[in-house]
Amino acid sequence: MTQERSHIVKSYEQELDQLRAMMAQMGQIVEEQVGLALDAIAKHDEEAADEAARRDPEVDELEREVEGLGIRLLALRSPMGPDLREIVSALKITGDLERMGDYAASIARRAMKVASEEGKVSLSGLRSMGRLVRENLHRTVEAVVNHDPHQAMEVWHADRGVDEHYLTLFRELITYMMEDPRTIRSCTELLFIAKNLERIGDHATNIAERVFYAVTGDNLPTLRPRGGVRKSQQGPPPE
Amino acid sequence: MNRGPTTLAEDVADSGGEAALAVKDLNFYYGDHHALHDITMDFPARQVTAMIGPSGCGKSTLLRIFNRMYDLYPGQRATGEVMFDGVNILENTVGLDVLRARIGMVFQKPTPFPMSIYDNIAFGVRLHERLSRAEMDERVQDVLTRVALWSEVRDRLKAPASGLSGGQQQRLCIARSIATRPEVILLDEPTSALDPISTARIEELLDELKEEFTIAIVTHNMQQAARCADRVAFFYMGGLIEVDTADRIFTNPRQKQTQDYITGRFG
Repeated sequence: MTQERSHIVKSYEQELDQLRAMMAQMGQIVEEQVGLALDAIAKHDEEAADEAARRDPEVDELEREVEGLGIRLLALRSPMGPDLREIVSALKITGDLERMGDYAASIARRAMKVASEEGKVSLSGLRSMGRLVRENLHRTVEAVVNHDPHQAMEVWHADRGVDEHYLTLFRELITYMMEDPRTIRSCTELLFIAKNLERIGDHATNIAERVFYAVTGDNLPTLRPRGGVRKSQQGPPPE
Repeated sequence: MNRGPTTLAEDVADSGGEAALAVKDLNFYYGDHHALHDITMDFPARQVTAMIGPSGCGKSTLLRIFNRMYDLYPGQRATGEVMFDGVNILENTVGLDVLRARIGMVFQKPTPFPMSIYDNIAFGVRLHERLSRAEMDERVQDVLTRVALWSEVRDRLKAPASGLSGGQQQRLCIARSIATRPEVILLDEPTSALDPISTARIEELLDELKEEFTIAIVTHNMQQAARCADRVAFFYMGGLIEVDTADRIFTNPRQKQTQDYITGRFG
């Protein structure tokens, strides 16, 4: 992105910087939450699981603060052009980040339930899906912080991989359950976890779309290339 | 980000509708000072076109060319074309009184004539039309109603116009300019001396008037341009940088200079 000149009104520039800083902070916390939730699965780390849930109020509070500042900027500064796009996008991005935080907390809670049934089912598929989601999330937050539409576009495309992982996991878990009904309880938890990860991926693509719009003024296509799910195949049930 | 400039021809092409005024290769000089450079743009009929830009960018100069205000000053000259109803109004063959009746103008400061409210309207009409008393009464009531002034002044039509408030005076001036039934109305910062309520009334009025008239407005108030205009033209240093729909100009302008100006980064 080309280097923008500063606003003539310095306090306006400072408020925009403040908005950007809060977004970056929010992104960082959500990244940590997702990381903790994935640790909770991978290492059965109860401490990490608790921590992931504990950080949720911070994210909620930041969402409210961003919303307050965004509305204030709209009311008092009458932003135009790229400033307007950035502020409106920020308001929507924080909504996506907040949802991601909720999903991370939910994953962490479920991870503890699954931990007790370890050994009956393999967690390797979930772990690699988690790694991909985490990596995408990291790049999404970077795109937000750096106002980078190219990176946003890469994330947007990369979500296809997450969808494919989800579909594979879905089939795998169904197979486990059919083979041994005693795994149904933990497999159902794992399915929810996979679904939550998939949703985190979707929110990352939403954010990528908003970054792309904020910076370029253009919209990415309405339909994102989706991995795996095709009508001719038996896919997961609709949400 | 950098989409590259679109040609003006493209902008003009999608201006949406026939042009009431078509400006082509227009240059303007205040003596040696070259104030407007190769301006080409359309003013679509029955739309509001706003002209924005920093002081001295040429937007008011362009507005004044449209009713040949510069004729009053020796040393000022225009070259190129401004087509209006099939005629290039820069040609000397055009009668100025007729031109100014067909292209009306309203200025920044309300400029009522030192006469009654009634005569402020009737004065211009009498220059161009012979109306009976009853017809003139009807015309006065009609235009005052259209600028939403009738109910406020119906009981004091013979009172001096100078007794009206600033906002009322400005609405009277707009009434005066539409009384001669022009096709185009030029407004040069029409609300910069008015309070927000009077400003809102004028903006509401523009919305109604554009059903019938082509409106060109120069404004320093970008929110006003955003609220009132269908199309917005950004001028800088005597050049037309970009003209597009108001929506496009204020959310996603094509040119960096426009973007810097509307976001307050100019300097």
